Amino acid sequence: MALFPLTSNFEEDFVLQLLPVDTDHTMDEVAAAAAHHSVGRRVADRPGHVMRVRRQGSTEPFPRTMTVIESGLAPMECIEVVWETPTLAAAGA
Amino acid sequence: MATLGRLDWYDIARATNWTPSYVTEDELYPPELSGADGLRMEAWESYDEPYKQTYSEYVKVQREKDAGAYSVKAALERSNMYANADAGWISVMKAHYGAIARGEYSASTAEARMARFGKAPGMRNMATLGMMDEIRHGQIQLFFPHELCGKDRQFDWAHKAFDTNEWGIIAARHIFDDMFTTRGAAETALMLTFAFETGFTNMQFLGLAADAAEVGDWTFSSLISSIQTDESRHAQIGAPLVTVLIENGRKAEAQQIVDVGIWRAWRLFSVLTGPIMDYYTPLEHRKQSFKEFMQEWIVTQFERSLLDIGLERPWYWDEFMAQIDTQHHGQHLGVWFWRPTVWWNPAAGVSPDERDWLEEKYPGWNASWGKCWDVITDNLLEGRIELTYPETLPVICNMCQLPINTTPGPAWQVRDYAHTHEGRTYHFCSDPCRWCFQVEPARYAGHLSLIDRFLAGMIQPMDLSGGLAYMGLAPGEIGDDAHAYAWVEKVRAARERLAS
Repeated sequence: MALFPLTSNFEEDFVLQLLPVDTDHTMDEVAAAAAHHSVGRRVADRPGHVMRVRRQGSTEPFPRTMTVIESGLAPMECIEVVWETPTLAAAGA
Repeated sequence: MATLGRLDWYDIARATNWTPSYVTEDELYPPELSGADGLRMEAWESYDEPYKQTYSEYVKVQREKDAGAYSVKAALERSNMYANADAGWISVMKAHYGAIARGEYSASTAEARMARFGKAPGMRNMATLGMMDEIRHGQIQLFFPHELCGKDRQFDWAHKAFDTNEWGIIAARHIFDDMFTTRGAAETALMLTFAFETGFTNMQFLGLAADAAEVGDWTFSSLISSIQTDESRHAQIGAPLVTVLIENGRKAEAQQIVDVGIWRAWRLFSVLTGPIMDYYTPLEHRKQSFKEFMQEWIVTQFERSLLDIGLERPWYWDEFMAQIDTQHHGQHLGVWFWRPTVWWNPAAGVSPDERDWLEEKYPGWNASWGKCWDVITDNLLEGRIELTYPETLPVICNMCQLPINTTPGPAWQVRDYAHTHEGRTYHFCSDPCRWCFQVEPARYAGHLSLIDRFLAGMIQPMDLSGGLAYMGLAPGEIGDDAHAYAWVEKVRAARERLAS
């Protein structure tokens, strides 16, 4: 359990932001932390949508329960936090 | 007694070059200080500056320029210009003075290096005058805002900004140190006088002087015009240098230096000039959008200059053209959102009429930048001002030292251009900024961006208060919305009209 800095690139926001998280945080917790700095500030909320975390350039998100330490992300690596449509989220993708 | 006309003696006097006999040429002009890329003194004899001036002519003309600028200032000191000026325009002055005034001394150091270590005699003469120009620019741009310190504490930043670690000034110092004070004379001339001044500042000062006149700020207008006429002279040091380099088989080297210089200059202009023209200048006084200005004055004219002297368009030209349309919108949004971290009060510039103008000048603005401003505006309308402030830092580019940003909304294009060098990963805003690093990594590798410093524990406590203290911003100086959010009421009124 340790402080871990990431770079957050939140879908439809305009800027990369410093995102302090914990190595034990799950990807859902990382997404929520990223949303705190973007959603409701410069990005409109999308009720019912799920936020997923992926490596920059990847099309596949990390599993939602995977932790930061398990993901292999490097300090300050850029993650993309993207909205997932409710249908896909319900299917447990 | 009749004296010879200048044209009858200037070329002979100017070409009276040294022929060292007690020291070697490399001792007289150390390569790292001349930056002559191995070219010997003979090769530089053909250097021919297009604008010729003697010292006595210089003194006479400069005296008249100073008399003009100071007279206008004295005559208007009792006018109510400052009291009546739009708050956006006051912010233009604060941003300009803080970012530029002390940088003029760096430019003077650059000219001094050219005046001593330039191998071309004509270049040394022109740079001697340029060295004095830049001292004048530093002094006059410190003196003029000084009287405003008593009216508004933020004007103190005209003088002190360069001695702080405020993020915008870290960016300005990074580029000025790179281009003005840490290269040999020839490289400095290419970067400062050709890329930076011919390409950008000369034209920028023309536009700024015109804008100042348009808003009725004749003091600032005459000051800027006075400076611009110096720029238009000493900016011509670099072009004939390119001719010499190309004639001696150094085109690739000249091209690379110019390409780095143009890109670095563009990045600084995107944060300084773009927001001023498209958001701070009151709508009724805007003559051109930043994009129109850039296309007419910078792109078309400078592109022609580049091709005329035998260089090519920089390899990143398409990216440059795309950024002219987009980049300053992000810089502006970032400056406004992180407004406590600047020494001026950013004008939001997004009232209904202003948004109409932005959409007209930048089709698609409402569907991209406007989306972010919609959220901000709704928060202000509904009293959630705390959500219009940041709780973290933007990630900063390790080259331009500006927040990494680009188009938001459905066309979302933001990304990190990372690069690992000797075990350290650097983050860049774009391919060209990353390329600038890659062509000369040793020059830049040791620098720490504001984010690097934060992560290294150099900023304590690790929150906004620690950040502001690190940047030297005290209460009473930190930025806030220029118009005290009056524009939000215009939005409210427009929405109420629509609803009724």
